[in-house]
Amino acid sequence: MDQILAMLLAGGVGSRLNVLARLRAKPAVPFGGIYRIIDFTLSNIVNSGIFKAGILTQYKPYSLMKHIGTGVPWDFIGRKRTVKILPPATGEKYSDWYKGTADAITQNISFIRSHHPKYTLILSGDHIYYMNYISMVNFHILKNADITVGMMKVPMENANQFGIGVADSEHRIIGWEEKPPQPKSDLASMGIYVFNTDFLFHILNENYGTDFGQHIIPNTLKTYRVFAFPFTGYWQDVGTIQAYWETNMDILKSTTKLNLQNWKIRTNVEEEDMETDRSPSYIGRNARIKNSLISSNCIIEGHVVNSILSPGVRVKQNATIKDSIIMHDTIINENSEVDYVILDKNIKIGVNCMIGTGELTTSNIKNPDHLRSGISIIGKGCTIPDNMRIGRNCVIYPNVIHFNSDYITCGATIESAI
Amino acid sequence: MNKILAMILAGGRVNELNVLTLFRPKSAVPFGGMFRIIDFPLSNLMYSRIERVGILLQYRSSSLITHISNGASWDMVGRNRGAFILPPYKAASSSTWYKGTADAIYQNFDFIDEFDPELVLILSGDHIYRMDYTPLIEYHQSKNADLTAVFTPVDISSAHRFGIAQIDNEDNETGGRLIDYQEKPANPISSWASLTIYLFKTSVLKKRLNEIGQENSSFEFGRDIIPRMINNYRVYGYKFYGYWGYTRTINEFWRANMDTLGDSPKIDIENWGIRTNLDHRSIRDRIPTVITSSASINNSLVAHGCHIEGDVNNSILFPGITVEKGAVINNSILMFDSIVGEGSILDNVISDTDVKIGQYSNIGYADDKDLDDHALTVLGRNCEIPSDVRIGRNCTISPNIKPQNFKTKSILSGETI
Repeated sequence: MDQILAMLLAGGVGSRLNVLARLRAKPAVPFGGIYRIIDFTLSNIVNSGIFKAGILTQYKPYSLMKHIGTGVPWDFIGRKRTVKILPPATGEKYSDWYKGTADAITQNISFIRSHHPKYTLILSGDHIYYMNYISMVNFHILKNADITVGMMKVPMENANQFGIGVADSEHRIIGWEEKPPQPKSDLASMGIYVFNTDFLFHILNENYGTDFGQHIIPNTLKTYRVFAFPFTGYWQDVGTIQAYWETNMDILKSTTKLNLQNWKIRTNVEEEDMETDRSPSYIGRNARIKNSLISSNCIIEGHVVNSILSPGVRVKQNATIKDSIIMHDTIINENSEVDYVILDKNIKIGVNCMIGTGELTTSNIKNPDHLRSGISIIGKGCTIPDNMRIGRNCVIYPNVIHFNSDYITCGATIESAI
Repeated sequence: MNKILAMILAGGRVNELNVLTLFRPKSAVPFGGMFRIIDFPLSNLMYSRIERVGILLQYRSSSLITHISNGASWDMVGRNRGAFILPPYKAASSSTWYKGTADAIYQNFDFIDEFDPELVLILSGDHIYRMDYTPLIEYHQSKNADLTAVFTPVDISSAHRFGIAQIDNEDNETGGRLIDYQEKPANPISSWASLTIYLFKTSVLKKRLNEIGQENSSFEFGRDIIPRMINNYRVYGYKFYGYWGYTRTINEFWRANMDTLGDSPKIDIENWGIRTNLDHRSIRDRIPTVITSSASINNSLVAHGCHIEGDVNNSILFPGITVEKGAVINNSILMFDSIVGEGSILDNVISDTDVKIGQYSNIGYADDKDLDDHALTVLGRNCEIPSDVRIGRNCTISPNIKPQNFKTKSILSGETI
């Protein structure tokens, strides 16, 4: 559809993803072995037949820029195709960081103007889902809407985390509250908006506010035609460590609706500083692997159960990985156990370590709300010395290599050498 | 290096590889879990910083053309870089197929002239080895050689299969002047076998090809060029001691694949840094491999995009292999996008791409105890094996065979369908 331009808001800080999002924007956080979170939205765009996209970055955009590259992996190359990274810029009028989602679009209005699309599709790069945006645009056209918001029913107890709308029988939005403590409905915003581009320009010119969810939608719904497009498929906001872990594990469930194969998710497998291609994985003579996702270039000699391994992971003899997510090129040495842990890239776990061990006695002391089920996280580039034990709900910041104790107790956070 | 141009002879078929080379030249045969044989010389060139290469085709070249594409996979795209596909062409006066390796170069000499290189490095696209060509080039230049050919020690009992040279001791382990050379001699004079890697001074190559080209009979480097240069030119032998996979027979091909397995494999694909074209057969777009709770895998190479619910032992699985519950795969090679149905057993099988195997079939079944353990059964591309059949060892199932082509449920060892 030549008439549609997708604007992807990929600047999120993702602070609830803790150390995973410390060195990268949330959309660039690895997911499902070989992907990054943004791959889902990017693949949806292309699989919907939309081939023009702008990606708005702000927070730590470097991994993201490398990942998008020229857009080849998603087939964005061609005369009438484009994917452009839009970094924040100082201009005559604007010289500030984005004040909200609508402000981000306002500051990049010239990019939209240069493509003169009839419809502008505004997306977020933070979610795991499959959706054909064309059906939403068709719905928008059918309803003769000014704005259409992608919305879905969520469990009532989670509704306070979303923009919540009240829709009439024609799907017209008649009420709206952003993250309400006492939600009036369970119809949650997915952060997906279709605008008639002319109307978008008009609205951004008036002083309706700087954020779509907080200001624009509630402030326009009385005067304009604002509709809710009802989405019923699989959709996960992987904004918390718990949701991130569970959504990854959904890939392993045979009953899951999260189907990487059928969803045709594409990613950029080229990595910087990799002279060679990732070769096939080698599974050794004493290896035992159950219910796991194994990417290429792994060497597995130990045991892997209910886990997700990114490319280049090494699991040595008698090491055991259970219920864990292990990212690129991380090494787990002999006789070590990793249980209910997320290990970021390039981590070295020594021999005889126990990571994620002992009783679950307390939530993470620093982040009790976001880390309480027992998951421990280790940041990129850490080296865990031999014989180390790390308890549950622990967080180790990236690049920590010295530890003063060989036992990190449940709930502790290690920010640097202590 | 701008003064050197590489030419890869990639058009050969090799009869002994049976159905694997029915639809593709040997250089395009899949190898080692996701590669093609030609990836080895191409990656060697890349690491040797030789960035211009002509690739000569002849036999069924479409899969090779797809694979090479623009050469970007081997970093051969740029102002002074390029991988150029050279198909056989019809000339104004004569148009014949190549009469041999030398003829192939001879007929493409205007391509070489265009680059005007000082040296031409002629390689075969058929061999599995890791070599940095830089020391070879340095040796060639230090000797002011006209031709330097590369040799490797082989078992004397197999020396009759190769071009065999006698090399003097001028530089001991590095190499020396060629004293004698015989192509596939019945009684080999030494065990130094030619890797069919030839580094020529371009001017000498041109002169020799022009002189011998007129004679119009067979036209091979091994048989017709080297022996007749030894006396009048500076011809040197450079010695190579690394792994060299000749793989001219099904058994050698299988063994070389198996050499990628183990704790310290002879072919260390990862450390060799072999690159391939990830767009060919969409390698790059596949999901990671799913291994379910019922699976058991050991000593195997598993590419991504596989789905494994059964047992896999000492085997090599290319991208897109499905192994259903209760299926057992031993000592086998399964290439791209194939399915092994529930309860089927494969022993010593090489299965080409896009093969479907039904349920509870037994392939490579040891019905004849006299056959050795490594008698291999080969399944051709895109064939479909029905459920509940038994296929013995040393069998060949031709490409595109469908269940209705099976007249019986039991194929004895040595049979061909």
